[in-house]
Amino acid sequence: MKALLVMPIVIPLVGGALGLVAWRSRAAQRALAACGAAALLLAAAALLWTVDRHGVLAVQVGDWPAPFGITLVADLFAAIMVFIAAVLGACVLFYSFWAMDSGRESYGYYPLTLVLLMGVNGAFLTGDVFNLYVWFEVMLMASFVLLALGGDRPQLEGAIKYVTLNLVSSALFLAATGILYGVAGTLNMADLAGKLGENVAPRLTTTLAMLYLAAFGIKAGLFPLFFWLPASYHTPPPAVSAIFAGLLTKVGVYAIIRVFTLMFTLETALTHGVILVLAAFTMVTGVLGAAAQNDFRRILAFHIVSQIGYIIMGLGLYSRIALAGAIFFIVHNIIAKSNLFLVSGVVHRLRGTGDLKQLGGLYEQQPALSICFMVSAMALAGIPPLSGFFGKLVLVIAGIQAGAYVIVAVSLLVSILTLFSMTKIWAGGFWKPAPEERDVPPPGDATHAIRRMMIPVALLAGLNVLFGVGFEPCYAMALRAADQLLDKQAYIAAVLGT
Amino acid sequence: MNILSVTVNLVIMMLGAALVISCIRLFRGPTLPDRVVALDLVATLVVGLIAAYAIATNQSVFLIDAIVLTVIAFLGTVAFAYYIGKGGLP
Amino acid sequence: MTSLILRTATLYMQPILLMFSVFLLLRGHNEPGGGFTGGLVGAAAFSLYAFAYGVLESRRKLRADPHTLIGCGLLVAVGSATIAPLMGRPFMTGAWWEMHLPGFGAVHLGTPMFFDIGVYLVVIGVTLLIIYSMAEEE
Repeated sequence: MKALLVMPIVIPLVGGALGLVAWRSRAAQRALAACGAAALLLAAAALLWTVDRHGVLAVQVGDWPAPFGITLVADLFAAIMVFIAAVLGACVLFYSFWAMDSGRESYGYYPLTLVLLMGVNGAFLTGDVFNLYVWFEVMLMASFVLLALGGDRPQLEGAIKYVTLNLVSSALFLAATGILYGVAGTLNMADLAGKLGENVAPRLTTTLAMLYLAAFGIKAGLFPLFFWLPASYHTPPPAVSAIFAGLLTKVGVYAIIRVFTLMFTLETALTHGVILVLAAFTMVTGVLGAAAQNDFRRILAFHIVSQIGYIIMGLGLYSRIALAGAIFFIVHNIIAKSNLFLVSGVVHRLRGTGDLKQLGGLYEQQPALSICFMVSAMALAGIPPLSGFFGKLVLVIAGIQAGAYVIVAVSLLVSILTLFSMTKIWAGGFWKPAPEERDVPPPGDATHAIRRMMIPVALLAGLNVLFGVGFEPCYAMALRAADQLLDKQAYIAAVLGT
Repeated sequence: MNILSVTVNLVIMMLGAALVISCIRLFRGPTLPDRVVALDLVATLVVGLIAAYAIATNQSVFLIDAIVLTVIAFLGTVAFAYYIGKGGLP
Repeated sequence: MTSLILRTATLYMQPILLMFSVFLLLRGHNEPGGGFTGGLVGAAAFSLYAFAYGVLESRRKLRADPHTLIGCGLLVAVGSATIAPLMGRPFMTGAWWEMHLPGFGAVHLGTPMFFDIGVYLVVIGVTLLIIYSMAEEE
């Protein structure tokens, strides 16, 4: 049973390594990617089931006892994240079989994506702050290469911005971790939860909390430090954008939630208040930035920022319902956002552009694609009965319960603006008649490829509907995960074995 | 204080002085080959320093470092020679 | 570069460097050294060959593609780490065996050594991948 905890890290590593051995053969790499994604999905599902049944699962790598060795730990929140990452990874890899160009494929796209998934899973499962840093670096190295791979000028420009900002964030993270070790004398998260709770150095701890907020905030795309995200996420191929948009920023959000529920809970009035203010600004700036854009993927990239605000709002309110809402919202958002990027890839394949002024008439040409887009876009905007509606509903209820009416008003306003952006894409890309001169049929065998690319798109859109219609059991699980986040003792006991 | 420790201290001091002088050449060296030769000399002197230090502390472990450094320095010099031979900037 | 001195010296130095790298690798368990330094010295041996005889010749000497080396190294490392779960211990726990080799007496073999061999292969692969692609750029 404990071996299950290592599987989400080992499976992609083995898949990536085998992919490197079979460097010359693209067919072998595809087969390996497919097998790896399927195995990862199975392992993640098994992990989620086990954790949900038996509570927090922890393993001490190398059999060194807890505060000293490397700890892997999965509570329900981590298991949910690993599972949804595996779902998304499988969908994106399947999509890439038909969407990725042969140049990127033969320069290691599949092994790199697997390594990226390994880094993401490692960050979700680690129980140690320094190992969290290491997994961030694994993930970032893979993402640097994926972002720059086969790049032309604008893509490299985006990649440079991304690399620079993420290096700054890593430096902050490392500095904060050094100070933290100086303050508490340990880096094991469960041990830290106990030691920082004893109120050793309250001022310094709060300062540290803010340092971590800045470091993770850069990676998550929080308000003052988000500008690298819309500048780089629309440049790589759509499959890469989809996995970046779905997972990478969410890993930053996951780290913020983990750190601010487990370790820095002494002065919640101050720290979580700051988080709430940041959430409001993040929502508003993201959605306003999107309103000014006129390109399919640029609009989506700004919306990533705005949606991060909702999740962080759940953390800022810091109650059982709010955390459950945040967890539900992350899952919903990973699915909806990635799916929109995948749709943008199909559109780009069909028309060769993402500029809304030059698009149009897609509804007549591709009704199925249009419906999938509509479902995910409306889920993102929060229209019932889709998943986004319930996510926002729970957050709004939590906000009203906490008496934070300003943030509730902001979140509702941002919802309306999101709807405006999504209808802009819908009207510009799908509904209005196509401009005469751009109306060219897709070249050659593209229709076959597009039919295959539609499978993961339809699947993800279906998940959006499923999470909305089947809200009750999903929300119950999110509540259980939130209970585990708030009850630190179970986590500490599972790791330290006391 | 026996004769060995006096000698080792003397050697370390003299090697240190040589290191300073060759560093000056490394920074001033008007052409690239000058700098390459100076860098090679610096590496060789550091190898000597490591050997002397190994005697002073009676730790043979450092000698492995000296060997590795020799290999790297040799390779570096060859690489520079390769680059200059290919017509790199002087 | 077609220097006779360098070429002749390389012929003698490359095997010595390779032996030295293996020495560093095996020594690394209890004393300074290990897979990383050993791998760097091993990569130095092949890049020396590349300087003297050209990248193509060096690739031919290496026989394996650097990518393959990285992949194999990762597999060896993961394999050494997964032995412990098969024996019912947590992942990556060291497992040790004692072997009697004729002429050597008792030899301790352990999974950390195989992990180090994996690191060794990965370091050689990565370093040579970088050096070869930079040297081939011209």
